[in-house]
Amino acid sequence: MAFAFEFFLRRLSQGVVIVVLVAFVIFTLLRVVPGDPIRIILGPMTPASVLEETARALGLRDPILVQFGRFMGEVATGDLGRSFIRGLQGGSAGGSQDVAGYSPESRASVAGLIATALPYSLQLAGLGVAFALLVAFPIGIAAGLRAGRWPDRLGLYASSFFVSLPNIWVAVVLIFLLSAKAGLLPAIGYQGFAYTIIPAMVLAIELSPVMIRAISVAVAANLGEAYYDAGIVRGLSRRTMVARHVLRNAAVPLLNLFGAQMIGMLLGGLFVVEYIFSYPGIGMLTISAVFQRDFPVIQAVAILASGVLVAINMLVDFASTMIDRRLKF
Amino acid sequence: MALGSPPVPRPEAPLMEVRGLSVAVQTASGPRPVLEGVSLTVAPRAVLGIIGESGSGKTVLSRALVNWIRPPLAVTAGTVRYGGEDLLALPEARMAALRGREIAYIGANPTSALDPTVPVGHQLVEKLCAVLPGTARRDARARVVATLDAVRIPSPAKRFEEYPFQFSGGMMQRALIVDALVSNPRLLIADNITQPLDVTVAAQILRLLRELQKEFATAVVFISSALGIVSEIADDVIVLDRGRVVEERPTGALLRSPEHAYTRELIAKVPRIWSGAARPPPPADTDVVLDVRDVERTYEVRDRSAIFATRRVRAVRGVSFTVRRGENFAIIGESGCGKSTLSRLLSCLEAPDRGQILFQGTDIATLGGRDLLALRRRFQLLLQDPYNAIAAHSAIGATIAEPLRIHGLVPRRHLRARVAEVMAEVGLAPALYDQLPAGLSAGQRQRVNIARALVLEPEMLILDETLSALDQVEQAKLLDLFERLQTRRGISYVYISHDLAMVRRVSARIAVMYLGRIVELSGNHALFARASHPYTRALLSAVPTVEDKPYPTATYLLEGEPPDPIDIPPGCSFRTRCPFAFGRCATDDPALLATGPDGVGRACHRDADDLPAVVPPAAGQGGGARQAEGAEAP
Ligand code: SF4
Repeated sequence: MAFAFEFFLRRLSQGVVIVVLVAFVIFTLLRVVPGDPIRIILGPMTPASVLEETARALGLRDPILVQFGRFMGEVATGDLGRSFIRGLQGGSAGGSQDVAGYSPESRASVAGLIATALPYSLQLAGLGVAFALLVAFPIGIAAGLRAGRWPDRLGLYASSFFVSLPNIWVAVVLIFLLSAKAGLLPAIGYQGFAYTIIPAMVLAIELSPVMIRAISVAVAANLGEAYYDAGIVRGLSRRTMVARHVLRNAAVPLLNLFGAQMIGMLLGGLFVVEYIFSYPGIGMLTISAVFQRDFPVIQAVAILASGVLVAINMLVDFASTMIDRRLKF
Repeated sequence: MALGSPPVPRPEAPLMEVRGLSVAVQTASGPRPVLEGVSLTVAPRAVLGIIGESGSGKTVLSRALVNWIRPPLAVTAGTVRYGGEDLLALPEARMAALRGREIAYIGANPTSALDPTVPVGHQLVEKLCAVLPGTARRDARARVVATLDAVRIPSPAKRFEEYPFQFSGGMMQRALIVDALVSNPRLLIADNITQPLDVTVAAQILRLLRELQKEFATAVVFISSALGIVSEIADDVIVLDRGRVVEERPTGALLRSPEHAYTRELIAKVPRIWSGAARPPPPADTDVVLDVRDVERTYEVRDRSAIFATRRVRAVRGVSFTVRRGENFAIIGESGCGKSTLSRLLSCLEAPDRGQILFQGTDIATLGGRDLLALRRRFQLLLQDPYNAIAAHSAIGATIAEPLRIHGLVPRRHLRARVAEVMAEVGLAPALYDQLPAGLSAGQRQRVNIARALVLEPEMLILDETLSALDQVEQAKLLDLFERLQTRRGISYVYISHDLAMVRRVSARIAVMYLGRIVELSGNHALFARASHPYTRALLSAVPTVEDKPYPTATYLLEGEPPDPIDIPPGCSFRTRCPFAFGRCATDDPALLATGPDGVGRACHRDADDLPAVVPPAAGQGGGARQAEGAEAP
């Protein structure tokens, strides 16, 4: 289909530009903040001469643009560099171990670290979104169909209640109730699928208020559209109108909300929730990387995140234009 | 075909009987009646017209007939009997079984009646399968395509897959007529179905509805605010005035000898194009204020069916005309003819791709910054929509003063006095100065807009459908106002409109546009009495009036819709629909030939004398007022 081809060609090329720009900004920022990475790599006890030598060997004294070019060249071949800190076994090597000299080969590859962590995060995010949809769809649709009456108010109360709960507090309460008290589910770390459930619930509670509001508003707005009443007068049943037309039309603003807002919330939520639960995903990886100033990991995650954002927005826009042909692309 | 429907009424027994129907709207200060004691009878296979002005409750009545009264409206008394049952007392499920099956309804807004995200054909199939359970989708599809073809929708199989926004209003209304009649209903309620349509399209729709009504033997309740339209189709007419039936007569008798004062008023209000005495156009100076030379505007739209392809929409193609000081110039044409694009070009909102627009000798496209601002002051555009143009949160006085402040023309301390002066001039009470626009009527809002334009003391006003949304009375008042301003200040007006009656009333010269081009440019009287382009005649033949027309509909009524401005046929662009096209029209594009000293002309290969002779309006019904011809000729 010509339209789809042109759409993706156009948007992918735009997307690549955006991701490269984001990568450049992050790359530069990480290199101008105080703190010499080589000191982090080699530890505080290393003699200055060794530092300089290793830094030159690693190319850390080249101009930023040169370094960036080299980095992007590597990224293009799938090489995201190597962690400053983490050893091949995954544990923190953290300076001081190889005072005598630094060999990059002894550190874990960033791509490898991300590849290990990503499936966990995807699983958590997927389950969280699924839980949120499970809650938000029935409540949101019921609220939208009966705007101004009790389901609408219930939806409003439920979402304002959820929105006012700090996720850290929700996490603690859920851990206490479901794990410590009732012993139903495990909570900290990861040894199996069951470890995903409580974190996913915390994530869902954070996401669902926005979804509930968005769904109910979109559904209610479509019930007010002329085509809804007209459809019923034309002889279609209410059920048909809602199932085939209202939900279809409501999907467009929902998709846009998902692309514009939810993805950001989801990424932010993942970081916090993974950290609370010591869940071994990308969030956890990033937060420890931040604490350890493990720049290669941070920049790789940031680039990955911008890539995901661009990709999701592209898919969302594509889906929207497929649903509603009036939209320009 | 009736499936599980209520007992079939005996032949010739009334199909629907409304007795003492009252509907009220719940307001903060208690219920206010909308309909009061309405009674009417619909005979099988008959067309009952209901005529009323806006606010007469006719749409509420049409909805009550399908039991579609929703809060804040409520039925307070009366019955709507159909097939021995009172529809108003019917449980929702039984009513749902009647709607769309036995009783069909078509509303005034064809373009918003279907889900915008689903192809039109699919929605028609959906309805067909819903009302005739057991229809195989493939059969349903074949049947829908066949009926789309039967109502003369071009390439129906392709249109089947297109979305509502790709349909023009007229095509959509055809599709909805198909949709309504596909279940072979006994009764069709048509609420103002021609209202949003252009006159030639509305005339086609009326003819189609009449044909189908005969063919399917459907009874029709036809609701409209235009007497000229109702009288074309209805057997009997009911006149509704503020929620009450004031007169009910066979159509011919009603027009000939209206009994109720309100009916007489209504008939008198129908604008006359040929029989009323048009006032002589105000004498125009000889100096040219606006000189439009061969302007073109093409838009590029992206093409979904090919890669990196765009299609060129040729909205305005080589338009030239001049407007003199103090002249009333009008541009008429139907939707898609390019008049809105032209208005954007004239008002400097866009620049033409080619050609020049000279305002008092300066090319407005070359202006920028300060000069453009200075020009905008002398050159004001007034749009149709009186609602969105006014900020809701600022006081009326401040709104009117805003342009003065932007242009910095009047010292702050004189501002109020200046605004008050203009408000008085356009007929806004001085007390409104500090009020918010919330309570204003459409007419008053339009006055605020006019005042906003007038504070700048412009030399030319471009009125793009400015008065279309207003009722006759308001319109007439504002036209008087424009005329007064013209005598006092020598303003030139460019009316851009589809309203032929209004144009007939006010303008001195008229340009008729079709497909981005002026096809005829002529003086007011000459154009209406001796139109010399086939399209102009088609346009005039389609105007709904209660008078005799010099251009019989049967001779001139057009088929189909204007071609897409993307694929303009070679040769004369009107050729595809022109009843008088001949060999040369397919190859040569006729230029607008200026045949007179006034820059009047027509773009047609056929000699005006070759077209059928103009039937002079017979001095038939309506009396002697008809023969204004000699009196007003310049
Ligand atoms: S040029 Fe030919 S096709 Fe065009 S309007 Fe005249 S007669 Fe009709």
